[in-house]
Amino acid sequence: MIDILLEVKNLHANAGDREILRGINLSVGRGEVHAIMGPNGAGKSTLSGVLAGKPGYEITAGEVTFDGSPLLEMSPEERSWAGIFLGFQYPTEIPGVTNTMMLKSALAAHRKAKGLGELSGADFLKLVNSKLSLVGMDRSFLSRGVNVGFSGGEKKRNEVLQMAVLEPQLAILDETDSGLDVDALRIVGEGVNSLRTKENAFIVITHYQRLLSYIVPDVIHVLYNGRIILTGGRELALEIEAKGYDWIIRENG
Amino acid sequence: MDRLTIGKGITRSETLLLRGGESRAWDITVCSGASLSLVIIALPGGVGKIDCDIAVQFEGEGGECQLKGLYLAGGSSNVNIKVNIVHNWPNCISRQLFKGIVAERARTLFFGLIMVPEKCIGTEAYQENHNLLLSDECIAQSLPQLEIYADDVKCSHGATFGRLGDEELFYMRSRGIPLDEARRLQMVAFAGEVLEGLPEETVSEALTALEMLV
Repeated sequence: MIDILLEVKNLHANAGDREILRGINLSVGRGEVHAIMGPNGAGKSTLSGVLAGKPGYEITAGEVTFDGSPLLEMSPEERSWAGIFLGFQYPTEIPGVTNTMMLKSALAAHRKAKGLGELSGADFLKLVNSKLSLVGMDRSFLSRGVNVGFSGGEKKRNEVLQMAVLEPQLAILDETDSGLDVDALRIVGEGVNSLRTKENAFIVITHYQRLLSYIVPDVIHVLYNGRIILTGGRELALEIEAKGYDWIIRENG
Repeated sequence: MDRLTIGKGITRSETLLLRGGESRAWDITVCSGASLSLVIIALPGGVGKIDCDIAVQFEGEGGECQLKGLYLAGGSSNVNIKVNIVHNWPNCISRQLFKGIVAERARTLFFGLIMVPEKCIGTEAYQENHNLLLSDECIAQSLPQLEIYADDVKCSHGATFGRLGDEELFYMRSRGIPLDEARRLQMVAFAGEVLEGLPEETVSEALTALEMLV
């Protein structure tokens, strides 16, 4: 029996006056990787934003349960403590705040939420150093401003580094493949794969199947016009790659 | 009014820390080949009023003056910073960077005059004033004034008024950093450019004042 981690029921959400999500139903079990694919404007980024608690969306109907708790009532930081991680499509640059400062502060807040004390400086560095190698980053990244002047690939590797440090239960990767060359894609894919366990789950949001040849999904959903119109196995990605979305939209939209 | 003269060829660094209701007026002369670096930190507390007047002139060519400032104003406090730089000799350089974090009902004014008389060629004068506004009730004013009568000079000024970035805050919160801590980190980042290199006790006093504004 599958242990359900995330349950989305009939989720409707607006951005401004526009209804973007029009009744999403999605159930993700521990140990699973779900891919959400779909054309531009389908609502993919809105769904990831709503799940992570990004301001600017209005939930008009539906509910989301995460690990048994109602998710939509939680602040973004509470969702993070509960085990949700959003890998940004466009990671934000924060000049003046170093990677170390952010990781340290994030980890301390996570540990506090679990009733643990702050790590010593040495233990923190040991932990971060062990994760750096996962994504092929060297230590000099730590003292740089968060994502400031990073290339596309470096930004995405930095997302995986943060994920590796925070060890989320559910990672939502929003178009992690955008702007990546093949080498960066492989490093990011391998980084993600090394973090997969029987306990955690991934939602991989993507346009193309190329990321899915590195991070192999159990289930693929096609999102169109704010609804999941088709759910299938991993072979669906290849079919989409070959034939595009039009046929799916014709038959199911 | 205090007078300060930086003698020929001398390099000097000064920090001016103003707290509560302290005010200060400095009349500074930078002699030829001399270099002054002055950092002004204004911490008015909840109700203080700080007036800081800095006048700089040169006595000979090749003088350099770098002014940095940080004002952290909350409550109903008031900070007025006036800088008046007269490039009365050719080939002198001045650089100003003033940053303010303004919260609650505080009011701040930055007034900066750069005056370059005729024949003072080779002057370089730069001025920046950036303000971070944390409430709808606070008022931050910036009055840059450039009076340039000489040709062949490099002068620039810029003033900005901004708020904490929603995207940066959400990014940090999505990593589990509580909102207040995310705000504090962004404020520290904003102030960092002025604080870097200052003595530890000055930095820690400024950071404590900053925390009161979060």
